[in-house]
Amino acid sequence: MSNDDEMVGYRQQPGKLPFSRPGSGGKNQFSELRDIQLIPESQGGKKHQPKGDHRHDPLISGTSIGKSTALVDSKWKVTGKANYGDDIRLSNELIGKIVRSPHHYARVLSIDISKAVELEGVIAIATGADAQNSFGVLPVTKDEHAMAIEKTRHKGDLVACVAAIDEITALEAVRLIEVEYEVLDSIHDMRKGLDDSEYPIHDRGQYHIGESNVQKRVFQEFGNIGEMIPNSVANHKSNWLFAGVNHGFTEPHAVVADWDPSGRLTLYTPQQVPHYVHRALADVLEIPMHQINVYRTFVGGGFGGKSDPFPHEMCAAILARKSGRPVRITFDREEVFWVNRGRHPSRIEMDIHADSDGRLCGVQTDALIDGGAFASFGHVTTYYNGVLHTAPYELGAFHYTGARVWTNKPASGAMRGHGAVNSRCAVEVGLDDIAEQLSVDPITLRLANLLPPFSATITGFRITSIGMRECLEKVKKASNWDKKFRQLPLGHGIGIGCGFFISGSGLPIHWDPNKFPHATVHLKIDMDGGVTIHTGAADIGQGSDTVVAQSVAEVLGLPLDMIRVRSRETDTSPVDLGSYSSRVTFMNANAAISAAMEIRKDLLKAASIITETEIEKLVIGDRRIFDKQDPAIGVSYLEALHKAQEDRGALTSSGSYRTPPMGRAHKGAAAGLAPAYSFSAYVAEVKVDMETGQTKVLEVWAAHDCGKALNPLSVKGQIIGSCHMGLGQVLSEEMKYSRGGDLLNPDLLDYKIPSIHEMPKVNPIIVESNDLEGPFGAKEAGEGPLLPILPAVCNAVYDASGIRVNELPITGDRLYKEIEKKCKILKISNPLNLPNPSLIHSDLQTVLESRASKHSERDLERILSEEKTPYHNGALFGMNPEVPGDEQDSRWEIRVIPDDQYLSNPRLAGSAWRHVERRKRND
Amino acid sequence: MSRFRLPMIPASDEVSWTSKINNVDFSTTIASNSILLDVLRNKGGSLGTKRGCDLGTCGCCTVLVDGIPKLSCLTMAKEVEGSKITTVEGLSLGHHLHPIQETFAEYGGSQCGFCTPGFLVVISALLDENPNPNDHEIKTAIEGNLCRCTGYQQIIDSVKAASEIMLNNVKIEDSTSPKSDPHPGFNN
Ligand code: FES
Ligand code: FES
Repeated sequence: MSNDDEMVGYRQQPGKLPFSRPGSGGKNQFSELRDIQLIPESQGGKKHQPKGDHRHDPLISGTSIGKSTALVDSKWKVTGKANYGDDIRLSNELIGKIVRSPHHYARVLSIDISKAVELEGVIAIATGADAQNSFGVLPVTKDEHAMAIEKTRHKGDLVACVAAIDEITALEAVRLIEVEYEVLDSIHDMRKGLDDSEYPIHDRGQYHIGESNVQKRVFQEFGNIGEMIPNSVANHKSNWLFAGVNHGFTEPHAVVADWDPSGRLTLYTPQQVPHYVHRALADVLEIPMHQINVYRTFVGGGFGGKSDPFPHEMCAAILARKSGRPVRITFDREEVFWVNRGRHPSRIEMDIHADSDGRLCGVQTDALIDGGAFASFGHVTTYYNGVLHTAPYELGAFHYTGARVWTNKPASGAMRGHGAVNSRCAVEVGLDDIAEQLSVDPITLRLANLLPPFSATITGFRITSIGMRECLEKVKKASNWDKKFRQLPLGHGIGIGCGFFISGSGLPIHWDPNKFPHATVHLKIDMDGGVTIHTGAADIGQGSDTVVAQSVAEVLGLPLDMIRVRSRETDTSPVDLGSYSSRVTFMNANAAISAAMEIRKDLLKAASIITETEIEKLVIGDRRIFDKQDPAIGVSYLEALHKAQEDRGALTSSGSYRTPPMGRAHKGAAAGLAPAYSFSAYVAEVKVDMETGQTKVLEVWAAHDCGKALNPLSVKGQIIGSCHMGLGQVLSEEMKYSRGGDLLNPDLLDYKIPSIHEMPKVNPIIVESNDLEGPFGAKEAGEGPLLPILPAVCNAVYDASGIRVNELPITGDRLYKEIEKKCKILKISNPLNLPNPSLIHSDLQTVLESRASKHSERDLERILSEEKTPYHNGALFGMNPEVPGDEQDSRWEIRVIPDDQYLSNPRLAGSAWRHVERRKRND
Repeated sequence: MSRFRLPMIPASDEVSWTSKINNVDFSTTIASNSILLDVLRNKGGSLGTKRGCDLGTCGCCTVLVDGIPKLSCLTMAKEVEGSKITTVEGLSLGHHLHPIQETFAEYGGSQCGFCTPGFLVVISALLDENPNPNDHEIKTAIEGNLCRCTGYQQIIDSVKAASEIMLNNVKIEDSTSPKSDPHPGFNN
């Protein structure tokens, strides 16, 4: 301020600015008054809060949150100015190409590069000898190398790489490199991975499970399943086979490595998780992390497929180091399938038991998952296949055995809905079957078995907000369920499926020591008034930059055109764990809010000094800070900012987020633990051509509880996009392998991603449960929405045809085979005469309905009450809700290691426990 | 393995090649067997034209050749010698975006954005020919384009909104026009 005296009793004339300020000018020269419809009731506004207050209520300025917002980087994307991996063109660049193994499993005996070196234009060649250190996304399973050290483990595995002046020369050099292999016996059937093998695919050194290819095994027993099953009156049993699927992002992997004259490496890569690459590069190149800058380019789709540190990224760095020139490696579509990391091919056995009260007294799951050649996120995936279907229902007992095996295929990894998708499909289809056996409506069955808000699941996960009930009720109504279910003619059906997913993972993968926050966001504001956000959150198209910008904009009362997000480089952004496990909105927006709150405090203080009004009376609105009672007493944002800057120059702040302490202590208790969970319920309506087995999805009603839709446009986009991806998996997508183990369809012609014509109308329904810890109430919306579409379609196919297909995808020929089979069994010659499933409600239906409505009241009470009394899973079965089951009944003891009785007759994946775990090889 | 992205036709020497890319005359020398996509990306200054598959399956590489959508990954450069080529970079008029560019941003037609250039050129051709397409016409126009993010629905919303803009001749603001004033007065 030039003259403090002028400021006394500062009252601004309407429409008049007392003086212009450096950096001012531009459009919208008048501030909009706060729209009281957007201000929560708790703050004196009119925004109805049926779910109670939220701790972020005082921060609402009505600027940005909850408004459909174009992605802040969308203008780059629509003009072709967005630079993805292969668009980074540095001067003097070389083109890198990779020599890949033609064998499924082989020992590399020798590599002769002499001819390739001679070729004009070849500048550098690297082999496994150039990078001996292993890496991997999880610190416990670093089983990958830049290039083969001793063995190649799948067709397409990296053996060597070349950098040359152009593509043609590089490819020619690849051809000239002669590799001598000793071919080993490969395994392709995941069941074989459970056996002892003469040459296990990985030697795990200190620790391994027998001589087998079992990479990870899990045994979990919660509650006494033996005692529960005899009570059951309905039992579902199924054996599922899920084909592997690939993310199918449109941008193939690409990377550019460049060592600058000071000897620092910049790696340009479309990564979801720059921080893990950062670490892996340091390991492999044997340089400290501060010598590396990982630059995240625009990412042309991730879905989990760009979240491992990749060997080709190491190769580019090694080649660039050797050649002294920038090196660019770009994959073609086939290579994308060779690195894969898609959803695991899985064999899942699902048993569900329900008692005469329609309670789910037992769930038993056995999941064998095919990890392919590398561990990737496998530890986590193995757990997720079990623990992520212990909610939203209250269970009497839960038993899970899971195993992940190495096979000689491209590695499986994390893909949208990580580890939860296949087993969720099996559970939800199982529930449909249970409902049919009990002659009740499947939606009612679900509504009568939901966990309440602020409860603990059987595995000890802390459920906070839960919008499951609302999701179910909304899709039921929107889809006109009661008029359609079991009432549509043969070949036309409707089905329901639900989902439950983590909103951020409670346990950061790489925090050793486990002391850092999960997410950190920095803000910088200088005299121009624009806000620079530094975050390491990787925008992969899901709109994380936008959500972080919106959060800051909301707190500071600014339009988005005054916010710029800098999230690309590890040199400038605070460390972030990356875009996986649906953590970004929850964690980064929370961190952004705390950073913005600091700036807000400074601004309010400055405004209070200028206007001589107590801070408590001031509110932030559209680019102005003013007295709640009298808007004329106030200052512009820029005035307050300049005042706040007087002593210290630019305002900076740092905010961070860490998860609260939660969960239990048994082995594996942290897997699946999250600060909040999302819920969803979908109804799908399908047509099945009974004479060809062809399924067409007509319409989907998709309700998802995302806590609070910060950007409804994006939430809807995520829901519809998830439907699209899930529909691919359930109806057409499949990585097909020949009997000899060859991948038959590494291209987008034979790997069938739904086109516009296969896409039904999706009606996204946003449910807002207002999570108390979420940023403005928000939870995830990126992965959870994928889960319900698979079972909804499977159940709809059953409703249409009376046939349960337990092998995905449900292609025409697969379904037709089942139709034929059924015709034969029923001795019906024309499939159009097959019986249609029907439903006449049993007495249980009314029992369930009244339980559901009682529970609905209970839930609302729990949400609104100040005192949250504990509710542990098991209360529905007469246990004391205040304490976990195992603490009140010794029979409920949690077991994580099988006993001899189990081992005498293990299930498929459970048989992985036959092997003796060894801490040291050969002892 | 992974070799099909090279042209199968043997190259003769470098030949000269001219065309009009986004309304600017362009000439260069290329290998006689060059693929249009490579020429556009490596020499023609159009990194906005994307390579998603090389097999004509994804549509990311679509450009307009004399106004007609073509997959540039399946087009030999020589075939289109002398043609008028429009890429995503050529859709906007200076800083005035084409309506479909504007609405793609506004209505969620673009998430990761990698498929976007392909969709945009196809749709701009559609709208040029038929400024008021119905659902079926829109679907048919974009059936050759894959999008893994959006599930297409918001793309269709964007097309409809763009059509509205074109029919009503709404003017789209220059993106360089002034942004918000950080020092506003207030309205009573
Ligand atoms: S790159 Fe041309 S269609 Fe995919
Ligand atoms: S927006 Fe990502 S593929 Fe279409």
